[in-house]
Amino acid sequence: MKITIKIMRALLIAVRQDLARPHAWAHERVGFLIATAAEQSGNLLVTVSDYHVVADTDYERSDAVGAQIGPDAMRKATQAAYRPARSLWHVHTHGGSGTPGFSGVDLRSASEFVPGFLHPIPKMPHGLLVLSDDSAAGLCWTRTDSRPVSVSNFVSVGTPFSRDWGVYELA
Amino acid sequence: MSWLDRQSFLGPNSNEVLGALTVGIVGLGGGGSHVAQQLAHVGVGGFIVVDPDSITDTNLNRLVGGTRADVAANAPKVDIAERVIKAVNPAARIIKRCCVWQAADDALKQCDIVIAALDNVRAKHELDAFTRRFMIPLIDMGMDVHDVGGGSYLVAGQVILTGPGEPCLQCLGIVTAPGLTEEAANYGSAGGNPQVVWPNGVLASTAVGLFMQVVVPWNRRPITSAFLEYDGNRHTIAEADVLRRRAGTRCPHYSPKDVGDPMFDIRKLAAAPVRSPEQPPVLKQPWWRRLLSQVRPRARQVDGSDVVG
Repeated sequence: MKITIKIMRALLIAVRQDLARPHAWAHERVGFLIATAAEQSGNLLVTVSDYHVVADTDYERSDAVGAQIGPDAMRKATQAAYRPARSLWHVHTHGGSGTPGFSGVDLRSASEFVPGFLHPIPKMPHGLLVLSDDSAAGLCWTRTDSRPVSVSNFVSVGTPFSRDWGVYELA
Repeated sequence: MSWLDRQSFLGPNSNEVLGALTVGIVGLGGGGSHVAQQLAHVGVGGFIVVDPDSITDTNLNRLVGGTRADVAANAPKVDIAERVIKAVNPAARIIKRCCVWQAADDALKQCDIVIAALDNVRAKHELDAFTRRFMIPLIDMGMDVHDVGGGSYLVAGQVILTGPGEPCLQCLGIVTAPGLTEEAANYGSAGGNPQVVWPNGVLASTAVGLFMQVVVPWNRRPITSAFLEYDGNRHTIAEADVLRRRAGTRCPHYSPKDVGDPMFDIRKLAAAPVRSPEQPPVLKQPWWRRLLSQVRPRARQVDGSDVVG
């Protein structure tokens, strides 16, 4: 199954701006994309409709990771996607350019909390995204008992239209 | 040297960008056949071409690529489009659907952009709703010849670029309740509207220009919506006032958050067998069309109040 995730360019810019804001004690910010989904010839199309900002007070102090959010942040995000059922995508940025990679911490923590979204919202796939300044990588969980699937296509709709959540270089 | 070297001003990666795209062309008559040919020339890699009809002799005055041999063979318009595209770019990826676009919705969901050359208001209305659902920008073309009396005719048309969050075809007055009513009343009546090749060509070139400006912009003027009016008597194209008047106002007909399939359930997709792209489409009415049929467009009266059409 191939997975395509689409977002309006203006919303993607707003997400990147939010994640770039400094925080009083966390080293980085995280957020949640809220999306719907559709079948596309046996493949999965995820269409992002909103962005859920994690409140400053929902970050916990930690020297072990860049950002640690508490149960309140998870509860609020799940609530935002609960009725009607929406797809939840945890998102953070590594900055830089080119296709970003997930850190070991990203993968370990996501493999615990992302499949957890499938319990209250089983109709929808959920996932983990990491951005760079001009690209993205993603993993999608469709069932609690299977491994995540990589996102194949990142489409940003607007001008310029982009298939990699990047920027278009004028000649 | 590459066959696309002369368009390098479109950006260092423009060939790759264009080659990776999949563009839907809905309607392959006078307008759509021009678009198919031009998109092949600029290096678009993927096509989903949709038209239910075969060529007839009355299409020969405008259908690019159509021949008398095609008429004799009753060739489907999608086959002619495929031949025209492949003659320019043999590596093009083409999915053909010889059916109304509503029966090709699964294929069209894969499109990055859809260009429509439909002569039917209902089909335009439904395609506008469909493309918004799946966050696909839509470029719509239309052309008409009006009898203005005294043996004079006005050749006119328009090209519209729209998409999620932008004014829709109802906002822009292309889809109206009276138009739908009149069309429904004339359903099944024989005869075609006048159509000629040169306005089709002007409108198709304008549509391709808008498409290129969206996907491989060559200047720093971003464009997310457009309404360009063609006056075929004066041979001019101008921005329509209606779009300027709507600047900064939200489309009251579609919310940008109403995307995706509201009936979607990942548990069914994970369990379902994968359908082959070559398998014929299932001719059932999709959920979005059933939903749309319950929503009638609103017409604006002269005094500005809304009425249900």
